[in-house]
Amino acid sequence: MLEMRKVTKVFNPSTPNEVRALEGVDCTLEEGAFVVIIGTNGSGKSTLLNAVAGTFYVDAGTISLDGIDVTRWPEYRRAGVMGRVFQNPFSGTSPNLTIAENLVLAARRGLPRRLAWALNRKVKDELRERVRQLNMGLEDRLDNAIGSLSGGQRQALTLLMATWLKPRLLLLDEHTAALDPRSADQVITLTDTIVTRDRLTTLMVTHSMHQAANLGDRLIMMHRGKIIQEFKGAEKRRTRADDLLARFEEVRRAEQLDETAAEMLERTYV
Amino acid sequence: MSLLIGAMTIGFILSLLALGVFISFRIFSFPDITADGSSTLGAALAAALIVKGVNPLLATAAGFAGGFMAGAVTATLATKFKINGLLSGILVMTALYSVNLHIMGRSNVPLLGQQTLATYAERAGTKILGGRAGLNVGGWEVSSLDASVLVLTFVAIALAGVVLFAFFQTNLGTAMRATGDNSQMIRALGVNDGNMIILGLAVSNGLIALAGAFLAQYQGFADVQMGIGMVVWGLASVIIGEALVGTNQLGLTICGAVMGSVLFRLLVAIALRLGLNPNDLKLITAVFVFAALILPNLLRKLRSQGASLSHA
Repeated sequence: MLEMRKVTKVFNPSTPNEVRALEGVDCTLEEGAFVVIIGTNGSGKSTLLNAVAGTFYVDAGTISLDGIDVTRWPEYRRAGVMGRVFQNPFSGTSPNLTIAENLVLAARRGLPRRLAWALNRKVKDELRERVRQLNMGLEDRLDNAIGSLSGGQRQALTLLMATWLKPRLLLLDEHTAALDPRSADQVITLTDTIVTRDRLTTLMVTHSMHQAANLGDRLIMMHRGKIIQEFKGAEKRRTRADDLLARFEEVRRAEQLDETAAEMLERTYV
Repeated sequence: MSLLIGAMTIGFILSLLALGVFISFRIFSFPDITADGSSTLGAALAAALIVKGVNPLLATAAGFAGGFMAGAVTATLATKFKINGLLSGILVMTALYSVNLHIMGRSNVPLLGQQTLATYAERAGTKILGGRAGLNVGGWEVSSLDASVLVLTFVAIALAGVVLFAFFQTNLGTAMRATGDNSQMIRALGVNDGNMIILGLAVSNGLIALAGAFLAQYQGFADVQMGIGMVVWGLASVIIGEALVGTNQLGLTICGAVMGSVLFRLLVAIALRLGLNPNDLKLITAVFVFAALILPNLLRKLRSQGASLSHA
């Protein structure tokens, strides 16, 4: 389904601000997999997602989807088969357009846009029906500008838009990080419902150990641009938030040890 | 009275300019100053072709096409070559100065005695009114020629406004509005946002060139200098229009841009009548736009300061 081979990305190369964001990441997603990525700050987890989405081109390595090499596809072209929800709830919707207009834009993701009317009564009835399933009372406000809604409502709509036409791959980039706890819960429940119902292949980045432990069927831990551990199947189901925290603590200690050890060796032998 | 009618006619003609500026500045938030060159381009193409004996309708359409291409070039420089938007406009505008001189062959092309859309309008008016030289509108004596030009201009502009409004309700038009609103989102929905900007600025400059083509035929000449200050005039009209309708609903803002353009021309005519030096016109317009740009923020700041003072 999705295959990443030795994906490498360096930001600001050969400058003092050089960041090795991805160092040869290999990862394969099977059809229908729901993979959760966690990692420390700056571990490259969001960078990995953006590399798949095509926000930038990778320096080396290949990304292919359904056996087609998409490494050199621009972002908008990949979006034809990928649905995306951003961390910022304002990024995924067009504030001055109405709810209906935003949704109808999503209903033609990856399809040519020509001179047919964007909205008519039949389309609007269909939109209303699907918005009703959110249980947010938004079905009666289809003609309101989307900018007048709360962050949680907008994020729920963005999720609905990203999955309106069943995408081959759904990318979720810490999509509840900027929401209040109640809205975050709502959006996570909605995510689980939609992904399970449509059996969507999903790549989700999160900062929440709780979400990482409870969602998905596979878990990837990243650190310093590399995948350091994976939990699958029964092992993933057993994993609890505390186990993940403990594992991160372990990584941190090992690293400190490495650095002090290296320093000691340097002092002794160089 | 004929002064008033003249001002209104020019106001309607330049409302096409206002609509073009509305598309680039408001819908795409793209500070496109190609307009200074593309309005002259429209006038130059129409005038040069009319003098060659081409049907004025075709000549006007050619003017639109020229502006369309100029806008596409500006947007291509900005999106594909990543040149700053303002600079892209300056480059194309500067290049167009030479292009316009080549098209016209000299700096000024008079259209006296030529068949133009204005003479068409006068002939149609004479036919409908049965050859009467004057009309009585609410006690005012109006030249029937002036009146028929005004009415036909109004019809043409109303048509352009309706077509534009309809266009922005289509799948393509909605995607264009979303591009200006949130380009990250529209890319994530599979739209090539660069192409949307190219098409949008092409339409914008097409309309602006159309205004130039109409203006040349109305005033009876095309001049290589006629485009100077067009962007600021268009912006002034859009700002007045926004103040008039006070909403950002699409249909109303389009009406507002047209009304703003007419009102602006009427104000200019009155100011000139009251003895304003025509040389000061562009300075005053620039000062007006400057004031309109900073006043809303300034007022908000003063109001919030006042509020905090009264609380203290």
